[in-house]
Amino acid sequence: MANVGPKYWRSLDELADTAEFREWVGREFPNGASEMSDPVTRRNFVKIMSASFLLAGLGVSSTGCRRPVENIYPFAKMPMDYVHGLPQYFATAMPTRNTAQPLIVKSSDGRPTKVEGNGDLPGFNGGTDPFAQATVLELYDPDRALHCALNGAQKHRDEALDALVSLAQSLGDGTGLAILAGQSSSPSRERLQKAITQKLPKSQWFVYEPVDLSIAAQAASQGVGRNVTPVCNLDQAKVILSLDCDFIGTEENAFHNISKFAKGRHLDGPESEMSRLYAVESLMTLTGVNADHRLRVPPSAVVPILARLSSLLGGEATSGATQEYDNWLTPCAADLKANAGKCVVLAGHRLPVEAHACVGAINQQLGAIGSIIQFLDFAPAEGKPIADLAAALNKGEVQTLVILGGNPAYNAPADLHWKEAQAKAKTVVRLGYYADETSWDPATHPTTQWDLAQAHFLESWGDARTADGTIVPIQPLIDPIFGGITDLEVLAILAGEQKTKPYDVARETFRGVGGDTEDAWRKFLHDGFLAGSAAKVVDVKWNGTPGNLPAGSAAPTGQKMDVVFYRDMKMDDGRHNNNGWLQELPDPITKLTWDNAVVLSPNTAQALGVYTTQLNQNQKFFYYKVEVKLGDATITGPAWIQPGMADNTIGLALGYGRTKTGRVGAGTGFNAYELRTSSAMHYASGATITKTDDRSYELATTQSHWSMEGRPAVREANLDQYRKHPDFADEMDLEVPKIDGEVRPAYPNPLDKTKLHGLHQWGMAIDLNRCVGCSACMVACQSENNIPIVGKEMVGKSREMHWIRIDRYYSAPLEKGVDPEFAPHDPQVVVQPMLCQHCEAAPCENVCPVNATSHDDEGLNVMVYNRCVGTRYCSNNCPYKVRRFNFFDYNRRPLNHLYKSPLVTTTDGEWELMRWLKNPDRGNLPDDQWQMMRLVKNPDVTVRMRGVMEKCSFCLQRIEQAKIAAKVRARDSGDIRLTEKAGTIPKTACQQACPAEAIVFGDTSDPDSTVNKRKSQERNYTVLSFLFTRPRLTYLARVRNPNPEMPDYKAHPVPYTTEQWEKVSEPGAAGSLPGKGGV
Amino acid sequence: MADAVTSTISYPVKVTAPPGELTREPLVTPTRDIGWLSDAIAGVAEGKTPRWWWICFGISNTMLVVCWGMIFYLMSTGVGIWGLGHPVMWGWAIVNFVWWIGIGHAGTLISAILFLLRQRWRTSINRASEAMTIFAVMCAGIYPLIHIGRIWLGWWLFPIPNSNSIWPQFRSPLMWDVFAVSTYFTVSVLFWYMGLIPDLAVMRDRAKTKLRKFGYGLFALGWTGANRHWSNYEKAYLILAGLSTPLVLSVHSIVSLDFSVSQLPGWHTTIFPPYFVAGAVFSGFGMVLTLLVPLRRVLHLEDIIRVRHVELMCKVTLATGSIVGYAYAMEFFIAWYSGNPYEKFHFLSSRLADPYIFGPMFHLKPAPYWWAYFTMVSCNVLVPQLFWFKRIRTNMFIVFILSILVNIGMWFERFIIVVSSLNREFIPSNWGYYGPTWCDVLQFLGTFGLFFTFFLLFLRFIPLIAIAEVKGVTPQADPHHPLGGAKVGGTH
Repeated sequence: MANVGPKYWRSLDELADTAEFREWVGREFPNGASEMSDPVTRRNFVKIMSASFLLAGLGVSSTGCRRPVENIYPFAKMPMDYVHGLPQYFATAMPTRNTAQPLIVKSSDGRPTKVEGNGDLPGFNGGTDPFAQATVLELYDPDRALHCALNGAQKHRDEALDALVSLAQSLGDGTGLAILAGQSSSPSRERLQKAITQKLPKSQWFVYEPVDLSIAAQAASQGVGRNVTPVCNLDQAKVILSLDCDFIGTEENAFHNISKFAKGRHLDGPESEMSRLYAVESLMTLTGVNADHRLRVPPSAVVPILARLSSLLGGEATSGATQEYDNWLTPCAADLKANAGKCVVLAGHRLPVEAHACVGAINQQLGAIGSIIQFLDFAPAEGKPIADLAAALNKGEVQTLVILGGNPAYNAPADLHWKEAQAKAKTVVRLGYYADETSWDPATHPTTQWDLAQAHFLESWGDARTADGTIVPIQPLIDPIFGGITDLEVLAILAGEQKTKPYDVARETFRGVGGDTEDAWRKFLHDGFLAGSAAKVVDVKWNGTPGNLPAGSAAPTGQKMDVVFYRDMKMDDGRHNNNGWLQELPDPITKLTWDNAVVLSPNTAQALGVYTTQLNQNQKFFYYKVEVKLGDATITGPAWIQPGMADNTIGLALGYGRTKTGRVGAGTGFNAYELRTSSAMHYASGATITKTDDRSYELATTQSHWSMEGRPAVREANLDQYRKHPDFADEMDLEVPKIDGEVRPAYPNPLDKTKLHGLHQWGMAIDLNRCVGCSACMVACQSENNIPIVGKEMVGKSREMHWIRIDRYYSAPLEKGVDPEFAPHDPQVVVQPMLCQHCEAAPCENVCPVNATSHDDEGLNVMVYNRCVGTRYCSNNCPYKVRRFNFFDYNRRPLNHLYKSPLVTTTDGEWELMRWLKNPDRGNLPDDQWQMMRLVKNPDVTVRMRGVMEKCSFCLQRIEQAKIAAKVRARDSGDIRLTEKAGTIPKTACQQACPAEAIVFGDTSDPDSTVNKRKSQERNYTVLSFLFTRPRLTYLARVRNPNPEMPDYKAHPVPYTTEQWEKVSEPGAAGSLPGKGGV
Repeated sequence: MADAVTSTISYPVKVTAPPGELTREPLVTPTRDIGWLSDAIAGVAEGKTPRWWWICFGISNTMLVVCWGMIFYLMSTGVGIWGLGHPVMWGWAIVNFVWWIGIGHAGTLISAILFLLRQRWRTSINRASEAMTIFAVMCAGIYPLIHIGRIWLGWWLFPIPNSNSIWPQFRSPLMWDVFAVSTYFTVSVLFWYMGLIPDLAVMRDRAKTKLRKFGYGLFALGWTGANRHWSNYEKAYLILAGLSTPLVLSVHSIVSLDFSVSQLPGWHTTIFPPYFVAGAVFSGFGMVLTLLVPLRRVLHLEDIIRVRHVELMCKVTLATGSIVGYAYAMEFFIAWYSGNPYEKFHFLSSRLADPYIFGPMFHLKPAPYWWAYFTMVSCNVLVPQLFWFKRIRTNMFIVFILSILVNIGMWFERFIIVVSSLNREFIPSNWGYYGPTWCDVLQFLGTFGLFFTFFLLFLRFIPLIAIAEVKGVTPQADPHHPLGGAKVGGTH
């Protein structure tokens, strides 16, 4: 750590340079806590005594409530706007491929700790995706590139920059210079790119994204004849047809799509309208989960379906149409036609540009262009494809190769043999966040390779554009921890700019777009966006014709299967591989953690003979490894049976199987890029798959049972049934048993009377009709509440620590002759966020022998960590099973050492007991990990030790902060009540991150609060209400909006789960269900 | 039988045999006189330590070391070394706790309830059973203490004033457990010790070394066998027996409340208190049989612990086993009668459904722990039915094997209750599977080490049969008996 630079970290403020300041931020209790100055203090005495106890074999003493040694160093000058203990918030943005997520980042004593969406931007609601939520962990990743290096030898950043300057001076007219970059929406980069092209006219600019999501923009630009970016106002669409377009999950700006889609699905009451979603897809995706009708087809059938759709809609006949799916497509097309002007067809990024052109023509014909689809007057910056670069490298035309970000050695198409190609350049300058596959490799390397450590976006200055083209600032919340360099800096040097500091570059660019005044710049940074900079909507028509669609390949068979390479919901293209929060985040569909898998449909798996471990079986999950051969390449991975997957199709998630990554990502999954060639980047056909006898591979999944077993955990009805029986959800549970003629909880709360005196009564409502299952809330909660990761082995033992989880159930139609154990082929899927329900009559409280969990007068079920001894009885008695237990010291010990007693292990070459004796507050993690890991913690939330139960607190720390702030504001007025009207009700972390606005938290005693309004809807219900635990968290039932003309509706006019519930529930145990009596 | 008395020994007094229907099989072989009894019983603790004892002691001690080792590993590392996880947060530790507590039931039942009911056959077996009880409760007591996450704070479960100024939560059944088990243990130890006093005096008087004399003398509390001593002793013993009697019922009732106070299907069951007590007596007698059947042979005590004793214990086992079987059946009835689909699912799909009979019958997929349920039912309900047959009751080898099966069955009963109720409860997304790790297994074996180490030490230092009491059931002790009292030929 010491050799990477003089400073460990600094705040934005100049004062941060002082050692005193750093001391100060390291302390837990900044002021007010005094202690004896005598070296033999009481604390030292207690430490030694505890150690003696340990040696006497009486046990490892608790370090739970120990305070760190404090030295009081008051500020000589107080930094401006700084209040002890209060976090500060700064606006910034997370750059993504061609766009950015506007963010507000919390800074605790100079270190960014929590990322939230910036809802101040017009059109944005403050939701984010899981990547943004997890980004702080990447900032403090001890495995990131810690220093610059020349041919593997460590160099100071100044040396590296000097070398870069001399390189830039030797470039001449740019002959032999190639720059390879990822996509970017940064106006500064655009400006610098232009400058470089001007100064070095012979230089070449290449752009490579392993998962290129910009094809819709390319097609649109061709279709309308000018450079545009399409946006889709999903909230205004009544009918949406997605053609392999996972706009909720893996497409660009998914979080933004979710917010608009959820708006279109919102129900205020039975009279509300909601949109209808059709999905045609090969993988089971989140879009398919949320679809009202889903057609499962192999990827090779998508284009023929599009062709058929085009002719069904009366468009020009195109070649290659298939009539195989007509019973599904005909009513769907009729529905689209009937809703012309209010409907849209979406094509996914995996489809070829011709398909996008055809979809554009269809949309034009359906009247979607101009209303639902609009074109914005900006386009992604252009560059040549990587294949050209590889060819140029192989021809020896490239002397100097500059790689800005990305990891082509890992994710370039396999047929390019990138590693060898890259070695043919004389000089390679590579800017990378990790020392990874593309970094200097002793085996194959160019003559000179500079590896520059890249700065995290929370450490760097820059700018970007959001989905609607609004310019947003990227401003650092912390100086580069390891002296990282930004891409703007490298480009500015190459461009020979006078000012190369990223701040100056961004500032200079802003002058061009936002005016010259300092005030405008400050407002830009403060607000986090430049008001009015949204790209103009251009009123153009789609001129393109459907044209000729590429002929689809033959339907896949068991011998020649289709392959879909897909962007992983957690690793993206592999860039988040070393992020523990994302690795441990269960995939929204498979619920797999720490791995990817060879995803197969139940039929395919059975034909292959790997269907011996049923999904339903509550045994440990061991899977057959299978070998996938495509062309000459072969990969081996565990087979995962995925309901809803297309038959004879193999789904391969990208981003795993890294050969050179950090400690977290090492050994996770297999590398699907090895099969991916430049001719078949998204779909491939002709793959063969063989079963191996290796069944030793274990996959860690957080949910092992797929069926809801007819239990009404998630309640759903179709729209027409809902309209007839708006309170259907309420009728679906058992009756509460009566004791002496009255309904009484089994565990009455002793505070039932005093709770009436609480100023607020907290409650939450989750609208299952809005929730799409994206899992951003899970990471947000993890980040806010200092929830540790536990590692793959622990997840395999169901010991993951997430306070909020997304339950995902498949439901299959009840059909005779179908084995219920079998995973369904065409399931309906429901998702349900599950977290502590904050029961008023809480079963957990009654059974705790030490009063560690109890109630407060505002209705919160509070967990007192200090008091908990870990009997785990509360978890056993919790019917929702939302309590999580620290089986080991996950926060303090290396995950691969958990089972080893600390008494026999060493860390950094020192006996752990000795380390503990020297400093009990230090973890048993290697020092570099420990130092970095501490920085990511939220100082407002306790870090739990082993043996302690924990659970969702409704973000109690935020509630308390809001209350304290209200008290401070109130002064003598006594008006300390938090109200929604005044905007003082805090948002929980999950609510804040939820792009769908499905989660609403608030004061139920305020009749005007949103949460009350939601709870007063007829769809409102309580999970397991017959237990009469009276949860403060209620759900709003899900409503599907199927088309009565569709074949699946005709067979099953009731959602499958409801159908199953009818079968299981006792006659008379609940009221009549719409499907039975009413409809 | 009475013929045997007159036929083997010839006495000067002519005795007419009493009418046949009034005779009972004697509780101690009548040929053994009272002096022989003292020698035989005290001799176990006095003679040269036999080799088998050293071998057993060596094995038990090794297991005891494992016990401490596992506790040490657990404390230094975390509860995670066990197989627990979501949703099964209690596993082998609690299973073992309830199992050991159950075993600890026979002793006090034999010594207290049978005493009050004047069941004189208890005298041959009460001492060893009580010792078994105490050691079993010690083994049991370890588990609740070490299974908690922060072992070093376990004392917070006791109402001791502490720095947090918070009392324990008296609504929690775990709290009740603490009181129930500790009271039971205390009273059991007192009762046991009380009964030991006359025998310790015997040991003191027979002692040949000063150390033994001092040691036994110290604990004999100056017992002289005076009439007043006996008078006080009998009263105190009766009072303690009276005090212990409700405890026999309370301990396991309260342990059962750990489960029935919760609301899980399979736990939330009102039948649990009597069902647990019956099961406890059942398993306790099973364990007494497991211990005494080989011991009577190895220690040549067949004349004192007679086949009749074994038979009687088999009958108790049969009776309680049938009660337990009834309780199992009632659970199914109640699950059906309640009309609660969660209960129904639990009993049908999580317990009964096996791959061979009931699963196919009800079209159910095998329950994850069906094998445990069927082990339980076979061992606890079917196996004891064999005790209807006298030939089986009197065959010591078969009784020994069956008693071990009873112990196994009762362990699985607790496993079924604890684990299979937790692993598939209300919300299906929570469902999971639990399996033990090697740490669970070794910890369990370790407590056997603790149990047998203590039991072997007990055998070597304390008379394993109540000498004074067993003499009281000999014919000679009855003044009205032809051979009893100070008649001619009466021997002391």
